[in-house]
Amino acid sequence: MQKTVVQWGLWALLLWPQHLAASIPLDCRDDQGNLSRCTSISQEKLLDRVIHHAELIYRVSEELSSLFEELFIPFPFRLQSNQAAYSCITKALPIPSSKSEVQQISDKWLLHSVLMLVQSWIEPLVYLQMTMERYDHAPDMLLNKTKWVSEKLSSLEQGVVVLIKKMLDENTLATGYGEQGVVQNDVQPEVLESVMRDYTLLSCFKKDAHKMETFLKLLKCRQTDKYNCA
Amino acid sequence: MMKKVGEVVLLWLLILFIQIAAGEGYSPPGKPTNISCRSPEKETFTCWWQPGSDGGLPTTYALYYRKEGSERVFECPDYKTAGKNSCFFSKNVTSIWVNYNITVVATNSMGNTFSNPVDIDVVYIVKPNPPEEVVVSVTEDKDWPFLQVSWKPPKMADTRSGWITLIYEVRLKLENENKWEELSAGQRKIFKIYSLRSGGTYDVQVRCKPDHGFWSEWSPTTRVKVPEYLPQERSMWILIVVFAAFILIICIWMIYMNFHSVKHYLLPPVPGPKIKGIDKQLLKSGKSEDIFSSLVVSNFPPTTSNYEDFLVQYLEVYVPEERELIMDEGKDLQDDSFKTENSTCDNDSGRGSCDSHTLLIDKGGGDKDDGQQTDQEGSQAEAETKSHEEVMEEEHLACCHENAQIPNISKEKEKVKSWPSLFSPLPQYSLSPVNRPNKPKMGNQHCLSDGLFTPNSLSSYFTQPGPSTTKGFRSNYWECSLDHKQSHLLHPQTAAHEHLQAENDLNAAYVDYMGAPLDVHELSVRPTEYVEVQRVSDEDVVLLHPVTPSQENSYTVSHQTEDYSRVRMVNNNNGLLLLQRDDIEEEKNMCPYEEEMVSRATSTGCRASVTPTLQNSATGINTALPILDEKAASGYVDTATMFGLPTY
Repeated sequence: MQKTVVQWGLWALLLWPQHLAASIPLDCRDDQGNLSRCTSISQEKLLDRVIHHAELIYRVSEELSSLFEELFIPFPFRLQSNQAAYSCITKALPIPSSKSEVQQISDKWLLHSVLMLVQSWIEPLVYLQMTMERYDHAPDMLLNKTKWVSEKLSSLEQGVVVLIKKMLDENTLATGYGEQGVVQNDVQPEVLESVMRDYTLLSCFKKDAHKMETFLKLLKCRQTDKYNCA
Repeated sequence: MMKKVGEVVLLWLLILFIQIAAGEGYSPPGKPTNISCRSPEKETFTCWWQPGSDGGLPTTYALYYRKEGSERVFECPDYKTAGKNSCFFSKNVTSIWVNYNITVVATNSMGNTFSNPVDIDVVYIVKPNPPEEVVVSVTEDKDWPFLQVSWKPPKMADTRSGWITLIYEVRLKLENENKWEELSAGQRKIFKIYSLRSGGTYDVQVRCKPDHGFWSEWSPTTRVKVPEYLPQERSMWILIVVFAAFILIICIWMIYMNFHSVKHYLLPPVPGPKIKGIDKQLLKSGKSEDIFSSLVVSNFPPTTSNYEDFLVQYLEVYVPEERELIMDEGKDLQDDSFKTENSTCDNDSGRGSCDSHTLLIDKGGGDKDDGQQTDQEGSQAEAETKSHEEVMEEEHLACCHENAQIPNISKEKEKVKSWPSLFSPLPQYSLSPVNRPNKPKMGNQHCLSDGLFTPNSLSSYFTQPGPSTTKGFRSNYWECSLDHKQSHLLHPQTAAHEHLQAENDLNAAYVDYMGAPLDVHELSVRPTEYVEVQRVSDEDVVLLHPVTPSQENSYTVSHQTEDYSRVRMVNNNNGLLLLQRDDIEEEKNMCPYEEEMVSRATSTGCRASVTPTLQNSATGINTALPILDEKAASGYVDTATMFGLPTY
């Protein structure tokens, strides 16, 4: 008994420097510092990075959609921008859909909306990634973009989670809202249906990516100038 | 209890002893230092550390990291990928949203050592790979080649989607130089370099940097050679040289053709002497006698034979307003022999007063209206001036000149000289003084009066340049006495030039006649000289003929001089006062004597002595001696009373 106590004491003594080291607050040095000594990334920087992330995702999704449309969709079947809204998978989500609604909800709900969107698209993009490989003569660019988008979306989700934690002090779980059973993979659809479905999927994703970006930018605007944001 | 404590203590001591005993250098490992992390594409990153001393024992290193906001400690997932003493963080474990807190622990059998923790923000540690596929090509553009450098971003960096934004930098240097020249290229991937050295070899490198991050390493060197493009400049230079040479040849040829005119323009020829009678060849030959033979007038000093000529030449009678006589000044002779100085009435101080209007007017307040007076005065002035300044010799010369002049007057019959201002048409033999023209006579008077009354001033007027100035004095007389019309007489000195040169129609006959400076003393030598009026022309010209001197005056006879008389003045009673000249020597002797008699002008004294004789000799002239005396004293002689000599 005493031995164990003594041993623990000895180990505690030996490990003492580590504790000391770990608890020392470090200076936060900005950008050019070789090793930024900040304990945490500031909120503004985080928000900027998230917005930048969302912008990229939207841009790539737009390219992906147009590329897919050119390659596989015959002209008469091409959707207009306002037609695919009701067939999107995320229509059931409690997301503000009009500008007036967006202006009314709080920052908290804004962030949560973004998180919901992101988390709801992770699975479908994985599915898309798989279906793209089944297409004949699908260019590598198509596949790469799809893959890229999928990865970045996951990263975005992490960012939003961190952001929520930082801004709202809430701990949320990643992929909490992800619905597993959105896309049915077991059924082998017909070619045309599959193509149309993929096309619809890409279009919907493009719209939702734009929404994410918009929400985040609005959030940023509210940080600086609360009453002048659209 | 005691045993257990002792065991613990022993255990401690054992541990320490082992460490001490076994450690001939054995010790816990040193602290790892210099933890640096880099991310090539903002998606993964790698950390390296510097190990400390290993303490002589095999040491292992472990890297632990902790994410921001979480207390969970993770260990490095990959020690291998990035090499020794490194840790590679894959994409799954890399997050751009959180900071990493990294610690490296060195462990050996003796113990472990913790490094200082380091905080990492992945975004700020991005150091991309160097740009790839750097292609440098030489592009010809209008004979001025330039380098075109193109490259690709590193593969790992995702610039296409905008994940990373890179800016590039190019540097180049000549092959054998040491200094690089760095050029910023921005975000574009093509860069052009101009101003290359012809024929040089360049090394080119490219690197990149994200907007927040570190510069990449330089890409591998690309070597390129610039072709020669200078020879064309050389051909242009050759063309310019040929053209310039051609123009130069033309210029030389033109100068050669116009050599003489150019030489004449640049080096104007020195004017040679323009003396008539001087022969340059003779000058060059060096025979002085021959050279100056032409200069020497044969009749200089004028011999007796020439006196008459002189007299004739210079005796002029002034006819008022109507007549203009061309006065033969005998310029040629004079010029050759006497070098008439035109500058007798110039701006010299001595002579300037002669020009003075006021001075002349003041002086001319006397009765001297006649040009004769002026003449006489002029001559007198000359004489006086000469006497004042000149040497005796000059005076002799002057007297001789005068003597020479007098006979000429008589002998020269053809020459008609008007005496306009002095003589009115003579009714008889008597010389009646010509009605005086107002102004010009005034001028004459002035001159004469000046001469009479102010010999000193006159002397100042007439500066005597020298013996050769006899002519000059004559010229003064010209001006002083005559030239009424032009009123130059007011400024006898200044006008001397003009008269001599331009005006032949000076009416002052006696001016020239009197040109030889009258020496007062000389005048007094022969008081008894008589002059005969030879004839009186209808033009009111009086020709005077010297009369052989009376026996009274032995001087004159002995010298056989051709005495000449000079009309001194003409009074308003039509009296003609003639002055006589004697030989030089004797005149001189006489004149001073006479001078004593007279108070003022020595010439007047001379005259005074002369006048009686004149009275006797002059024909048709009634003169009263006493009157003459009076007048002579005042410098004024009544010609009518003077001449009474009938003899010829």
